Amino acid sequence: MKTLFRPAPLALIIAAALSASCANAALSDSTAAQSATKASVVEHYADLAHAGYEDALITARALDKATDRLIANPTEANMKAAKEAWLAARVPYQQTEAFRFGNAIVDDWEGQLNAWPLDEGLIDYVEADDYQYELGNAGATANIIDSKNINIGGETLDVQNLTPELLAGLNEIGGSEANVATGYHAVEFLLWGQDLHGFELGNGDRPVSDYATGADCTNGHCDRRGDYMDAVTDLLVSDLKWMVAQWAPGASDNYRSQLMNADAGEGVQKMLFGMGTLSLGELAGQRMKVALEANSYEDEHDCFSDNTHNSHYYNGLGIQNVYTGNYRRINGDLVSGPSLSDLVEQSNPELNARLSSQLSASMKALSALKAMAESSQNPMPFDMMIAPGNAKGASIVNRAIMALVEQTGSIEQATRQLGLETLSPDEAGDSF
Amino acid sequence: MKQLTISVCLASTLAAAPLMAADANNPEAQPADYRAQWHSDILTGYQNLEARSQTLAAQAETYCKTPSSEGFEQTQRAWRDAFLAWQRVRFVNFGPVKRGNLDWQFQFWPDSKNLVARKAKFLLKGNTAITPETITESGVAVQGFPMAEYLLYDQDFNKSDKALPAEHACQLLIRVTDHIANNGETVANAWGDFQKNYVENDQYTDLTIRAAMAGIELLEERRLAQPMGLRGTGKRSVYSADAWRSGASLIAADATIQGLQQQFMPAFSRLLKDHEQADLARRIAEQLDEAHAKFPELDRPMGPLLTNDEEFRAMQSLYVHVSQANVLLSDQAAAALGIVRGFNSTDGD
Repeated sequence: MKTLFRPAPLALIIAAALSASCANAALSDSTAAQSATKASVVEHYADLAHAGYEDALITARALDKATDRLIANPTEANMKAAKEAWLAARVPYQQTEAFRFGNAIVDDWEGQLNAWPLDEGLIDYVEADDYQYELGNAGATANIIDSKNINIGGETLDVQNLTPELLAGLNEIGGSEANVATGYHAVEFLLWGQDLHGFELGNGDRPVSDYATGADCTNGHCDRRGDYMDAVTDLLVSDLKWMVAQWAPGASDNYRSQLMNADAGEGVQKMLFGMGTLSLGELAGQRMKVALEANSYEDEHDCFSDNTHNSHYYNGLGIQNVYTGNYRRINGDLVSGPSLSDLVEQSNPELNARLSSQLSASMKALSALKAMAESSQNPMPFDMMIAPGNAKGASIVNRAIMALVEQTGSIEQATRQLGLETLSPDEAGDSF
Repeated sequence: MKQLTISVCLASTLAAAPLMAADANNPEAQPADYRAQWHSDILTGYQNLEARSQTLAAQAETYCKTPSSEGFEQTQRAWRDAFLAWQRVRFVNFGPVKRGNLDWQFQFWPDSKNLVARKAKFLLKGNTAITPETITESGVAVQGFPMAEYLLYDQDFNKSDKALPAEHACQLLIRVTDHIANNGETVANAWGDFQKNYVENDQYTDLTIRAAMAGIELLEERRLAQPMGLRGTGKRSVYSADAWRSGASLIAADATIQGLQQQFMPAFSRLLKDHEQADLARRIAEQLDEAHAKFPELDRPMGPLLTNDEEFRAMQSLYVHVSQANVLLSDQAAAALGIVRGFNSTDGD
């Protein structure tokens, strides 16, 4: 389990309350703003989470089918389709990360789906010369696909039958958080392979023949690689199914019912805590600043596929969704309802206007990062932006970091405005 | 511009906090007095860092000019002195040390992917000369104490033909220690210039206390509990500690404790007493004293202590005092003084 950890060695301390030069209060004519209550906002938050996880599940099922087709018939076209399905699955999932911090049920569960960085040598072959794993990780080169038994730190494990249960049990084996056997990034590695391009353009280029049968099989054990892929995508689907059920309306024994029965203030606190933590510590800090300041593509989030820009972009969008109460589903439907924005508007329209515009500014900065990475002329993915001496790339990343830092200051203020503490709701001595 | 510190306006929302006003019970004590003392105590710490870093840079140069095993050991000692000087002021996480991310430059940590070794190998691979610009452009994993530590202490590296005093390794050591020395000078000067701003702005009282809270929590959770297997996955691993290559993880913890004792507590104890919290001040000081009293006995590499339960207990006792000090400071004192905790950069996982 990943424990929440608060204070700040790297100190992007926010003491911000920019009192001067504030935007004028937005004109709010919506009746929603007047009628929103903490309870209705929390209920709609659960709706947002439910819709988000449902979309994550739908796209994970599509990924599961696409990888099944790839395993059955390993062609370039099926490889491409599987990669596209993976990219599509990331769109809703990354938005749900705004629900992670604050809701312990999500945070305790998500490691099996989205843990990173991973020591991929646990799973499959890697280039020995260009593989840097976590120091002291006895499982870093175990290569499950190549083995019937693996030995990690003196413990021998039978890995002959690659089932979802077996893989789930291998996470963090040997006490190392980098031993990630499951989740999106394991699938990503099985599709793309190691990115050996460093700061140069290009992502992992695993040949489709890694899934071929008989003499065509490259890099050995193609059948086991297929079994692994099959098991790990099945597990992803069943994990997401479980989380969808936790947020589903109409049940009396799921997380949603607990949330709705608790004090609505606690729910609102969870919303803001999730926004602030993802915004500052996780996205601006761990996922962007560390990679940038250390020029470290090892600290890149989607390092095999070079899809990091989208992971960051949809994280940002997830934060904005929680505040505005709006979520654009993968089928194009808009989910909307009573929001935090409405609540803040009731007591401090100026703050609401400021935070809303800061959230938009962050999305603008993240859009610029995404556009640069996806440029058809001269693409610069995230691992190139963070290269030593790339001033242009650094400035794009820094602008996104700064925007996220600024909005976090206002999220903090909004928390106080609503009479709440910014502490982790799970550590604030609350009952649940 | 690698600058993350955001400009801090005088926050109207904080104006009502109890720390902002002179205490009713002690109208003589002005909040600016505490800050004047903090400023001066922290300045002493930065000046020490500056001096020790300069000694390190000079020693590296001397050693590389006329290498000897004695000179190598002297350089290791100079590294350690400068690194410990940094540990004493490491808790200060605002102000000049944030400009250009000097704090990350002094010490990039944690480094779970062993980026320092990777960058060193990369820089020492060819025969390209290592210039000051190489260091400036190579990112924080190259620019500070961990890189110099790698060159001076890494066992595998020291067995290789690239090891010190090989020309290229010497070049890297000299450039890195120069970079540290320059940063030491920059931060000491900038902290001096920061005096008026710091003393006159009420918000820095809160920021200074929050910095100490964050510093001691980092020490407890990440620098001790994590390698000791008391948090996270529960695995004991010296690689999660800082300065494991030099075996200085524990003495560095002591240096941070001393830094809090010498550069934070004097003004803070006074502030607590003025807020009728003399007992709390005494108890915090006591826990820090108890933790410090474990040294020099505990001045040993952490690795062997993790594998021997008997020896592990000595470390556990240090941990207990640090964690007590953390509770007293971060919970009790913060509550008594109305200090509100905000989001922090290490939130998340």
